[in-house]
Amino acid sequence: MRNHAVTYLATLLVALGLVACGKGTDQPATGSDGSALKVYRHSMDGAPTNLDPVHSATIYANFLVLNTYDTLYSYKYLTRPYALKPNLAAAMPEVSQDGLTYTIRIKPGVRFVDDSAFANGQGRELVASDVAYSLKRHFDPSNRSQGSWLWAGRIKGLDAWGENGADYSQDVEGLEVIDKHTLAIHLTKPYPQLTYTLAVGFSAVVPHEAVTKYGRELSIRPVGSGPFRMAKFDTAKAVLEANPHFRQEPIDLAAEGFDPAVHGGLGLEAIEGRSPPFIDRLEIDFILETAARWNSFTKGNEIQFTSVPVEQTDTVLDSRDPIELKPDWTERYHSTTGVEAGFVFTSLNMDKPYLGHNDDPQQDARNRELRCAMRDAMDWTARNNRFYSGIGVVFPGIVPPAASDLHSKLSQDSVSRNLERARARLKKAGWTQDNLPTLEYGFQNSVTSRQLFEQFRGFMADIGYPSSKIKPVSFATFGDYNKAIKTSQLDVIPMGWGLDYPDSENTLQLFYGPNHTPGSNNSNYSNPAFDALFEKTAVMQPGPEREELYLDMSQMVVDDCVTISGLSRNRIYLWHKDVIGLPDREILGGFWLRYVDIKSADDQTTPAS
Amino acid sequence: MSAGESFWSKAWRKFLGDRFGLASAGIVLGYFVIALGVWLDLWGQQWSTLTSGSNLPMSSAHWFGTNLSGQDIFDRAIYSTKTAFEIGLSVAVLSTILGAILGAISGFFAGRWSDEVILWLMGTLDSIPFYLFVAAVAFALQGHPLAMHAAMIATFWTTTARVVRGEVMKLKELEFIEAARAIGVPQHLIIFRHILPNTSHLLLVQATIVFVSAIKSEVILSFLGLGVQDGVSWGLMIAESTQEVIVGQFKNFFAASGMLFVLVMAFNLFSDALQDALDPKKVH
Repeated sequence: MRNHAVTYLATLLVALGLVACGKGTDQPATGSDGSALKVYRHSMDGAPTNLDPVHSATIYANFLVLNTYDTLYSYKYLTRPYALKPNLAAAMPEVSQDGLTYTIRIKPGVRFVDDSAFANGQGRELVASDVAYSLKRHFDPSNRSQGSWLWAGRIKGLDAWGENGADYSQDVEGLEVIDKHTLAIHLTKPYPQLTYTLAVGFSAVVPHEAVTKYGRELSIRPVGSGPFRMAKFDTAKAVLEANPHFRQEPIDLAAEGFDPAVHGGLGLEAIEGRSPPFIDRLEIDFILETAARWNSFTKGNEIQFTSVPVEQTDTVLDSRDPIELKPDWTERYHSTTGVEAGFVFTSLNMDKPYLGHNDDPQQDARNRELRCAMRDAMDWTARNNRFYSGIGVVFPGIVPPAASDLHSKLSQDSVSRNLERARARLKKAGWTQDNLPTLEYGFQNSVTSRQLFEQFRGFMADIGYPSSKIKPVSFATFGDYNKAIKTSQLDVIPMGWGLDYPDSENTLQLFYGPNHTPGSNNSNYSNPAFDALFEKTAVMQPGPEREELYLDMSQMVVDDCVTISGLSRNRIYLWHKDVIGLPDREILGGFWLRYVDIKSADDQTTPAS
Repeated sequence: MSAGESFWSKAWRKFLGDRFGLASAGIVLGYFVIALGVWLDLWGQQWSTLTSGSNLPMSSAHWFGTNLSGQDIFDRAIYSTKTAFEIGLSVAVLSTILGAILGAISGFFAGRWSDEVILWLMGTLDSIPFYLFVAAVAFALQGHPLAMHAAMIATFWTTTARVVRGEVMKLKELEFIEAARAIGVPQHLIIFRHILPNTSHLLLVQATIVFVSAIKSEVILSFLGLGVQDGVSWGLMIAESTQEVIVGQFKNFFAASGMLFVLVMAFNLFSDALQDALDPKKVH
């Protein structure tokens, strides 16, 4: 009996030993020839749900779409403020004198990735008709595009084409395929932002063969001409492999905006003159929990990039203003900080007669006082300190600092807490604890969202708004939350908006009446004076005159207390020293990942034995 | 022991002799008083109030300190007691009633189609993973605040029903039931007036077990975001603490898990003592 026990014990120890040794035998990934692969492991705080370009509405989807597909234009890697450059296009568009025709030449010889959707499984050349086809898809009602608003009413005949059955064999007047490599886009009215729209994930070029073969499965199986091809994709991770047929375009660092004073020390000089992609495999882990992401990053042998969680700010930062990292962190990791090209704000639903627009002028005025009182109750300083490490940028109005300096011309009044004024507004308008409306505050279920809600409700309690009258309505997914917003179910709508392009118009359109939900105007604001100015500025080229009108529009939204705005988050990114790159999840989106390199596959950190 | 002593007085005497049982009942009673106080607005009402400082240490003003948002952890922990009792009581009572009725019908008509249907239903519900079932119910009810309660009641009654079914199958063969049948008492009266009251000792024990299970499930579901929608619970506090423990703040975690641990432990001991006291084989 005792011998048996000893045998079992020995067997158990050997088994445990094998398991322990097994952990230590992990080696860097190798290619078919046995050589070490260059692998970069990125992380994101959310997961994309749909990789079809017509549904690439989130930053997460864009990261993958922009790396598996191609867009006509992209942004210069290192230039700030952001500047466009040709990507799939051979040059910047030739714009007609009247601003109504954009002629775009496409680089010859660009190939889609090899895929069974094509004859013989070999990717064919990408041509101008593919660009036209991809834009048409947004107006095919069966696709339920989330990006059609970018071109709705702008391109001649495109809206009508969709309304008349979306027959792909029919030409669209505004999408003229001049020859195999030339496309002319004819507009209904000048659209100065058009080139920007051709750099977003929505405009990515899709081959019709893939749409025919995969249908809705295209949402998880991208077939494009980008620098990477999808090898694996699920809710936890995406694995992309370098596209061996990606066009050869050596990097000119100076043209990309390289500045030794800013970018020195990141090792970017190593990619000069070489053609991306530089890595063999790109792995993107979707890690929603900040603690898990942080632990994975600091462990050293897992993800190589993370944003710094709010809870870790004190651990990492030496100073908040200016933002400086502690020396031991700068020794261990590369870092960058920057104000996001976007903002967070809380919209109030103007569709609701007890809160927003009301046909009765007296009630309408009372509702405005209520909204303004709620805005006065908002404590942006406390919100910034609690949720954004105290390093976010609070600004008045609806145009974030990354788009323009309009905010500096607006009064700080709308972002200054003033409880006396808020109470006075409620009293003046006859609002009491008994007659204040019960409001539904929506959010996607998460610990942070719930804490944001509780803080908001706490702010409102300070002006006497009963907590029982501000109800949380949580949703399991962002999709469910978005659906509730788009069907105008909620009263209070906390949102974040990332600019699609660096132009104030991209946020002003959030308050344009015709963009009423299910469009992008989630607050359902409707002001004829605002709409008239929006339409006037929509065809104007950038300049002081347009800026002046933008300022007037911002002031209107502030005066009507449509939204409680805003704060641009200041993000701190860390990445491992063996990674060559400059991460940026703002307007540049996922474009930068094609330029990532790893110092040496042999030098990659391996798990400890 | 007197010859004419009833079953219930015997059980009560037995229970009074169980020191652990009495102590645990005292603790459960203490929690109940806390929950009652919250119900009556006597304390715990400041659970969502924002104070000026986040992560404040324990002090006379904030007995358990404050969390990252600057809310009083003690108030939140106290208020969560009400949440736990609300869910525990409602789920225990309703699932026990449901289990008793369906179990009695199933046992009384054992082998007949009604028994087959109820057994099939129990088997089907038991085969569905609990948390997936709750998620499905929550989705179907569009995030309704009572979705969690409905899901728990829909699944917890089956155990009670199985216990009652077995007891009823035994009871229905006894003489007093045969006598009732002989004098023409209708079947529904036999079930609900003569048989079911004789399973009350089992139902009491089963209810305490369901009570504890409901509280534990609520904490897990709230931690996962499927539970409490408006309010606070120990599960939500533990979920919040995941952001705090990585920077060395454990107050939220210890307050919530400590309160939960003591209540669950006390209720388990209380349940065991009750089971011992009500077991006819052990009542001397």
